[in-house]
Amino acid sequence: MSLLLQSLVLGVLLGGLYALLAAGLTLYFGVMRVVMIAHSAFLILAAYLAWFWTTETGIDPMVSLLWTVPLFFVTGVLIQRLLISRLRPATLTMMSVLLTFAVALVIEGTLGFVFTGTQRRVQLPYGGADISIGGVNIAVVKLIAFGLAAASLLALYLLLTRTKFGQALRATIQHPEAARLVGINTERTAGYGFGLGLATAAIGGTALSLDSTIYPSLHWHWIGPLMAIIVVGGLGSIPGAAIAAMVLGVGQSLLQIPLGTTWAQTFFYIALFATLMIRPQGFFGGRLAQRF
Amino acid sequence: MSQATAPTPGTAPAGTSPEIGLSTDGLSKAFGGVQAVDGASVAFHHGKVNALIGPNGSGKTTFFNCVTGMIKPDAGSVSYRGSSITRKAPHRIARAGIGRSFQLCRIFPRMTVLENMLAAVRPHPLHLLRSSHDRGDIERARELLTRVGIEHLERVEARDLSYGQQKLLELGGVLMADPETIMLDEPAGGVNPALIDRIAGLVRSLNAEGRTFIVVEHNMDLVMSLSDHVVVFDRGRPICEGPPSVVQNDPRVLEAYLGI
Amino acid sequence: MPSASDTRTADTGAAAAHAGRRDPRGVVPTIVKAVALVLLAAAIVAFPSVAANPFILSVGVVIMSYAVLATGWNFMGGFTGYMSLGHAAYAGLGGYSTALLIVKAELNPWVALALGALITAVIAVPVGIASLRVRGASFVIVSIAFVLILLLVFQSWGGFTGGSNGLRIPRPFGPEVLRPEQHERFFYIHAALLAVALLLWWLIDRSRFGIGLKAIREDEDKAQALGVPTFQYKLVAFVLSAFFTALGGGVYALWFGFLDPVFQFSILIGSYMVLMSLLGGIRSLFGPALGALIVGYAVEFFKSEYGDTQFHLVATGLLLGIVVLFMPDGIIPGVTGLLRRFRPQASSIREVTQAELAEQRAGGAHTGTDSSGGDSTGGATRAPDPQVTEGVHP
Repeated sequence: MSLLLQSLVLGVLLGGLYALLAAGLTLYFGVMRVVMIAHSAFLILAAYLAWFWTTETGIDPMVSLLWTVPLFFVTGVLIQRLLISRLRPATLTMMSVLLTFAVALVIEGTLGFVFTGTQRRVQLPYGGADISIGGVNIAVVKLIAFGLAAASLLALYLLLTRTKFGQALRATIQHPEAARLVGINTERTAGYGFGLGLATAAIGGTALSLDSTIYPSLHWHWIGPLMAIIVVGGLGSIPGAAIAAMVLGVGQSLLQIPLGTTWAQTFFYIALFATLMIRPQGFFGGRLAQRF
Repeated sequence: MSQATAPTPGTAPAGTSPEIGLSTDGLSKAFGGVQAVDGASVAFHHGKVNALIGPNGSGKTTFFNCVTGMIKPDAGSVSYRGSSITRKAPHRIARAGIGRSFQLCRIFPRMTVLENMLAAVRPHPLHLLRSSHDRGDIERARELLTRVGIEHLERVEARDLSYGQQKLLELGGVLMADPETIMLDEPAGGVNPALIDRIAGLVRSLNAEGRTFIVVEHNMDLVMSLSDHVVVFDRGRPICEGPPSVVQNDPRVLEAYLGI
Repeated sequence: MPSASDTRTADTGAAAAHAGRRDPRGVVPTIVKAVALVLLAAAIVAFPSVAANPFILSVGVVIMSYAVLATGWNFMGGFTGYMSLGHAAYAGLGGYSTALLIVKAELNPWVALALGALITAVIAVPVGIASLRVRGASFVIVSIAFVLILLLVFQSWGGFTGGSNGLRIPRPFGPEVLRPEQHERFFYIHAALLAVALLLWWLIDRSRFGIGLKAIREDEDKAQALGVPTFQYKLVAFVLSAFFTALGGGVYALWFGFLDPVFQFSILIGSYMVLMSLLGGIRSLFGPALGALIVGYAVEFFKSEYGDTQFHLVATGLLLGIVVLFMPDGIIPGVTGLLRRFRPQASSIREVTQAELAEQRAGGAHTGTDSSGGDSTGGATRAPDPQVTEGVHP
């Protein structure tokens, strides 16, 4: 029973991080119809930057957010402006996949060059601490990571629903032509959407660095589940992605008990195939999903 | 087969109810919170030129897309010549005899004009590996290209055509598939008056040969001179229909257009 | 449809007389093409005997294998424009099913190869059904997910697949066949497979099926509206593509003699296929093979000079990015485009009727090269042909 509860809690904690990252992936798809394969490569890059920051300065990795978040935001805007917007609209979906895939390869290769393929882990004074609540043991770092993800997700939610920029962004996602008609600069909005998406990777990467061992090719273990999440949630729907992330994260965590960690990972892919077979538009998706 | 079943226009004695080809019943489609098509029940006259008009955003194009299967309607049904085509795949609807053009003219940009025409040929599954440049098909494609007036451009890539020529090519491609009913989405949109005359002439002569037309159009002069039956859309459903002369003077139509 | 022919005029009669002309884009005369093809075939046949040493020969085999894989990829990518990033999955499945049929079922290697490719094609059917009902994005996502899931399964299922320890495959030729001889035989087997794949690609390219597939690539909605059963077409192309890729993977496995999940189900191999095809030109028959020659040679060169480093990833990524951004049409279309520019303008439009045209449209503006697609009044430059309007107005 306590094992089940333990897995459930771990699943929720993991689901929070998935939700934040899937929200970023959904943002790119929403504003530009781009499947951003490099999202998880940037995630790992951010984790490396956090690790590097802490090993060099001895300051807590979370402080690195102060510069990685702005850096990633600007990088995201630049990627949209300089790379994605160059592609022909007719072949945008396919070509942008190839382009972001190329970016992912370059990041992975560069990380391998600079930091070698050795596995890295941040050493934290509170790294081994855990809290026990009702018979459930939770590592403090996991709680912090979840808190970081949840707070960012809440901030993103407020930004999208309470601000004028958020309104413009949602209008761009739902109906770009209509958004242009009412005077929204959709091109610029898309750039900021990209920046926001990449900022989620910066936060996620820092959170990841707290309690995971990292290596350059780790991003392939993240992109598969994340893409499964956005399809299950319905391409282009941020709430859909968040709900799917939670459901799948908890599901994976629970399945680890009977199946072990490796086979539990297949849960994401089975969910992906099942969704495409039964309901290709996703389970929480809006109108975008029907066409892509 | 289309020729055999199509009625000869003008032979129906006055007073009898017109034959219905394509009809919808309670067709609905919403995008997010916007009800683009709202319980539309429309019957189009077979063998005639039908026009579908209405202010911008009244749901005409969405209605077209629902009928031709490009978008799945939320509710309601579509039937064509007695059988249901609701929620059928677009290619099945096309093969049932309904051809369509798109609002912003769509052609295959990086195929030649001739290849654009040949892409509309529907081969028997056993003949799929035969050469696409079949003698008979090419001959028919050239006849149709001549008819729309761009036969001299058959080797040019479609993206190198002017917009007007692309519109003619799109119509040619639709004809190549030999549909009984042709749905045109703004055939006169963005083209010059000389070309509008030519397209109108084509519609008339094709209709005289027995083809039904359903045309979404904003050019009122064209609608009034071309069509036999006009359906007016507002907020996703028909508000009035009848012969052009009647519709023209209907107060509801003025209201819808002027937004009074 | 007899009705449309009513308006036939003398001009169409003349046009119909040229109905036999093929290949409207042809810029290179058929004779030149035939000679080039014979020379190419001769060069391939001669390669093993002129190769300086077994190492060069083995590089030749690897490049040939890449050419088969890229051409197999191009059955989907080239015809429909759906770019699979995880096509290594089918090469890997082809290799593993061939190997397992030999090792576990003790089948004859060549029977195992054919059966293995068939099994892979069958596996591709549900994957295709899941990923092709909706548009591009889902296809790409599934293509990557599928290769990742296979890597996971083949690594974890040690009892059956050999897991991370790999799987050794007995050689199809007896011990009396020495290494160089092995290389030579496998070079020819790969070449024969490539020839079959190219022949089928060419057949489809000129067929009615092919024109339907290309219509999907150009505008899927439009193709559907014209009656092309897009889902079925895409599925057939996809399964064919998986089949040829699996054959390529199977032959490679027989030659190499050892399979490791990390190299079989590798994202990098899948991206090589895309890069090679795109670089050579996905619309051309020989594009992927040409790309395989260039990229394959570069990969092998760097491997032998610098060993296995992260540099591969960076170089592949940069090259892929450059190709996507600056030359998405590839080398072959670029070169034919150049050739066309050096030839008289007339060759791009039906030559024979030039005179008739000039006569017919006396004084009319030349519209054939008007490329201003956005010019909504473009049609105005051309007065309606008298004979057309005459036939049209009732």
